[in-house]
Amino acid sequence: MAKSEGELLPGTFDMLILKTLSLGPMHGWGVSERIERLSGGVFSIQQGAVYPALQRLLRRGWVTAGWQVTENRRRARIYRLTATGRRRLGAETAWWDRARLGVGRVLRAPIQER
Amino acid sequence: MSWVHGLRDRLRTLLHPGERDEELAEEIRFHLESEAARLTRNGHDQATARARALERFGNTAHVMQATREERGPSTSGAPMHDLRWALRALSKQPGFTALALITLALGIGATTTAFTVLNTVLLRPLPYRDPVRLVLMREKTATGAIRPVSFPNFTDWREKTRSFSGVASEMFVWSQTVTAGAEPLRATVMGVSSGFFSVLGVQPLKGREFTAEENRLGGPRAVMVSWNFWKTEMHGRAELGDIRFGDEKIPVVGVAPESFRFIDDADLYYPHERMPGTCRSCHNYLVIARLGSGATLESARAEMSTLSRNLVRTYGTDTEAADVEMIPLRDFLVGDYHVMLLIVFGAAGMVLLVACTNLVSAQLARGLARARELAVRAALGASRGRLARQLFLESGLLSLGGAVLGAAVAFLLTRGVRFFGAGLVPRLEELRMDRSVLLFTALAGVGTALLIGVYPALTLAAGSPGRLLRGSRGSRVTVRASVWRLLVGFEVAMAIVLLVGSALLIRTLHNILSADTGFQARGVVTAALAPGDSLDLPRFERLRAELGALPGAGGAAFTNVLPLRWGDGSGPVRRPGDPLDRNWPAMAGFRLVSPDYFTVLRQPVIRGRAFTSADGAGAPLVAIVTPGIAEKLWPGENPLGKQIATNYLFDQWLTVVGVVSEASSWAMPRGGQNEIFTPLAQHSRKIEGRIVAVIRSNGNPADLMPSVRARLRSLLPEVPAKLGTLEERIARSAADRRFAMLALSLFAAIALVLAGIGIYGTMAYTVATRTHEIGVRMALGATPHGVRMRILGDAAGMAFGGIAGGIGAGLFVTRYLQSTLYGVSHVDAIAYLSGAGALLLAALLGAYIPARRSSRVDPMLVIRAE
Repeated sequence: MAKSEGELLPGTFDMLILKTLSLGPMHGWGVSERIERLSGGVFSIQQGAVYPALQRLLRRGWVTAGWQVTENRRRARIYRLTATGRRRLGAETAWWDRARLGVGRVLRAPIQER
Repeated sequence: MSWVHGLRDRLRTLLHPGERDEELAEEIRFHLESEAARLTRNGHDQATARARALERFGNTAHVMQATREERGPSTSGAPMHDLRWALRALSKQPGFTALALITLALGIGATTTAFTVLNTVLLRPLPYRDPVRLVLMREKTATGAIRPVSFPNFTDWREKTRSFSGVASEMFVWSQTVTAGAEPLRATVMGVSSGFFSVLGVQPLKGREFTAEENRLGGPRAVMVSWNFWKTEMHGRAELGDIRFGDEKIPVVGVAPESFRFIDDADLYYPHERMPGTCRSCHNYLVIARLGSGATLESARAEMSTLSRNLVRTYGTDTEAADVEMIPLRDFLVGDYHVMLLIVFGAAGMVLLVACTNLVSAQLARGLARARELAVRAALGASRGRLARQLFLESGLLSLGGAVLGAAVAFLLTRGVRFFGAGLVPRLEELRMDRSVLLFTALAGVGTALLIGVYPALTLAAGSPGRLLRGSRGSRVTVRASVWRLLVGFEVAMAIVLLVGSALLIRTLHNILSADTGFQARGVVTAALAPGDSLDLPRFERLRAELGALPGAGGAAFTNVLPLRWGDGSGPVRRPGDPLDRNWPAMAGFRLVSPDYFTVLRQPVIRGRAFTSADGAGAPLVAIVTPGIAEKLWPGENPLGKQIATNYLFDQWLTVVGVVSEASSWAMPRGGQNEIFTPLAQHSRKIEGRIVAVIRSNGNPADLMPSVRARLRSLLPEVPAKLGTLEERIARSAADRRFAMLALSLFAAIALVLAGIGIYGTMAYTVATRTHEIGVRMALGATPHGVRMRILGDAAGMAFGGIAGGIGAGLFVTRYLQSTLYGVSHVDAIAYLSGAGALLLAALLGAYIPARRSSRVDPMLVIRAE
């Protein structure tokens, strides 16, 4: 498992994968690579961690997977967001926004002297 | 439809676990190569790129393992996995599984069969068009007695009513010798009126119904045949041709459809309106009618009541139909069987309940024995819900198997019931398992699963794993003793109710069969003969003498109708001086009998004399009456020598020469069965082609039958004969009760055995859990005998609770049996005592083996085991 997954808030990794897949169907390597790139290197997860996560999303029906032949004639397993997955992403994003706001307010609250 | 994707994915995991791993490996390979390619593009050399890619990926083995875990079964609910687990658990104990399956198959099979009968006889519509609009009408006398209809009343009803779209009638079946092929044969003939088939809404399979001309006295003759007769006797030929009735050839104009049947089986249908009856107070027809549009049963009843009042006004006491009894045809055809079938169905349901109870305790005991296994699973992370689900799945599998096997059992039983029960219960020939029966079986299976599964699953899964694993002895989940008592008590109570019910019916049947009928049926051989229209009397007298003199025979006689069957004649009787059109003082049934009839049947002649061969065709007309007639006509006087007449016997004056004691002539309970006997020889034209020989046998009637048959064949080769015994006839008059009795006895026996097994199981389990206690007791000086008695006492205690409950329930339930009982009350002490006794015995038998085992406990071993 990714050694730095613990640095992510629980559940956020799945959300990131859903977000990545909302940009278009992609294989596992693509997903991990793009998360790294889009986060600007904030998360240094191990790439292999996407596979259990993808499997989890697959079972929940949020993504589907199928084998396709890529441009350089390799067989690759391509993951695709389902309609449910897209709705889920919407819900998670909204939750995340609220949570981020809440956390931010708490953290920025002035520190009072006793 | 996300769950479809999810499901498909899980299914693939289940079906091809290896394939999924290979795919994952390929995916990872692709990933590593892509990453390495990217790194190469960024300037790394190939070896470094590959190493970096691996490093960035992480531990491939971990990734694969984590992914595998995400796929499912072991970490969250996977039904297939639970199913495999349940199957394995069941196959580990093949003995238990087999016994459970047999128990359930019997329970569900019995219930399904009972439902099939109920469904066929009561629930499925009659095989006629729009059968709910069909009614059956009979005459209701001023005293409220219900009688068949006279011909003139039938035609008057048909002419005057406005409520019906069609009215027809049926005359009772008779049998007659006919020739359709080479050999003469005995055929049953049903007289039907015009429009009989169209009122029922039945189209002839071939040909047509009778025309108006054919239905008229003196019109062209015609006959219709049943499908069966057409197939077997006419070999299904297209050219219907004709059938010989004696010397006459009658053209066959139609064939009834294959399934067609109305009340009785008939080979031939004959237009009875060709021979119109003139007697308005005779009772020979059943009238069927189809309610017209707009008419209801009530409105039709009202109209017919008015109509019969008008007829009474016109014909006075000529007509006995003060009112019309009108009931839906279905009620008439199914009638009394309603109660009987519900009883049988209820009994079958009780057997299923007993079977389920047995399995509940078996599942509990089995679960407790596996408590450690369950605890380990719980400790390894299986949730309570998961454990309960797995345990429930076992019960579900058993129920599923039970239902499938039960359907097979029911299929076989249904065939048996159709074979043995046809004739005992109406409509059984239609018996088959249709979709509603299968639905019923499925529901029974689901109900069974819930009954046997829910409680054990919840109880067993509730055990605390920690305690279970830590403890050694006394570490089990416990099921309170009261639960066991309740389960056993319930079984015992159910079995008691069934035993009492069957005991009551057995006693009823015994009472019916041994009831004083006023004659002695035992040992009488009967031979129904169809000599055709001409009866050669001297020849029959010779036959009678020869039959009576056969070795082992003690006399023979003839009658036109056997006892316990409606004679074809009943009518009013008058004395000289009674006006022809007035209310005649007595009604009687008529029987034509030969000399020796009363001797053969052992029906005592009280006064005067019996008939002799001197009472022949030329001699003065004589009659023998039952005391009821004598009392009504000549109270306090000597009836001998008095004169009576009846329109049934052509209004001729008959002289009473004897009084014979009353017999159960057409119904079992005696009283008011008034009869007039006349010599066969003086009224031989009334026999209508049929006659029955009764032969008294000195030993077993079955031994006499072959010689009777041989003698008939040599003396009357052209006359078809059907042999039987008078006892059979009496037994048949109780056919519905016999059906219920047989079913109930079978069910009671099954329930008794199941209750015994249930007690065995419970006691065996109790003994197993109390080994330690027993060992200590024995170490402290208890004798093996004492220990044994204690266990037996426990079992008896359990049984007594159930017996008390069962007797209470029995007193309540058997009230519904009351109407079917004869000569025994539903609170009959013998029935209850024998039921309770049988169960106590079963309980002790069931407890004996565990009790013996308990007394063999070695105290030293037990204590060392501590």
